[in-house]
Amino acid sequence: MWIYDRKLQYPVKIKNPNARYAKIIISQLGGADGELAAAMRYLHQRYTAGHREIIGILNDVGTEELAHLEMIGAILYQLTKGLSAEEIKNAGMDAYFVDHTAGIYPVSAAGIPCDMKYIGVKGDLIADLNEDLAAEQKARVTYDNILRLVDDPDVKDPIRYLRARELVHYQRFGDALRIAQDRMDEKNFYAFNPEFDKGCGC
Amino acid sequence: MMERSALLKEIQAEDFAVYEAALYLNGHPACADALAYYRCHRDRAAELKSQYEEHYGPLTLYGNRDCSCWNWVKSPWPWEKEAN
Repeated sequence: MWIYDRKLQYPVKIKNPNARYAKIIISQLGGADGELAAAMRYLHQRYTAGHREIIGILNDVGTEELAHLEMIGAILYQLTKGLSAEEIKNAGMDAYFVDHTAGIYPVSAAGIPCDMKYIGVKGDLIADLNEDLAAEQKARVTYDNILRLVDDPDVKDPIRYLRARELVHYQRFGDALRIAQDRMDEKNFYAFNPEFDKGCGC
Repeated sequence: MMERSALLKEIQAEDFAVYEAALYLNGHPACADALAYYRCHRDRAAELKSQYEEHYGPLTLYGNRDCSCWNWVKSPWPWEKEAN
């Protein structure tokens, strides 16, 4: 189970609201490579991952993604707090506003609600860990793109932190893949699914 | 020392009491009875968790008592039958 820690993982303190920035950063809340999809991906893959060390990596990275989801929520909240309907309209956020007002709803920058179709749980350690490695890189690229489009240092600072965490997660999933491969029977490397088949060292 | 699964069950019961009190207190933050109930179960939960971690391994990332091994990844995960 989880217990809520009443703090952000890294501080978010934005002086100037800016709906234009909120409109793009929201992709890291509800987009295909966003934090909600990431958390759901790892927290569902972990059950059958077999090796307790790899489960630990999936569990703890998945949990950290929930903390990142909250940081993105805090960024969106502060970027839209106190704005008038006029300011929201001028920033091009009126299509979101009409459905959600200033509420925080997980959609992509293009307005598509988050969907479990974004994640994979193949039930095969090698397939799932390769997806996870790719997912961390795709999230890193999204943060790179946000940093190209945003020039407020108050916003860039937590975004840079989140970007750096994607790199660390990529490295940890690299550890997980190495553990999984080291323990497989090399003669049957592609014939066994270590999450499902017996006798391959799980 | 209580057997592992019996001790875990007690911790689950104490934690549930704390959580239930917290949900209620959110809407009734000045209720003295609920605050007393919360304190009693919170203290008991902390005591039992300390015993558990001393003997059976960490319950959270902060509970690894062993200096020579990361026991976080050594015991069954909560969804395994042996963990319950």
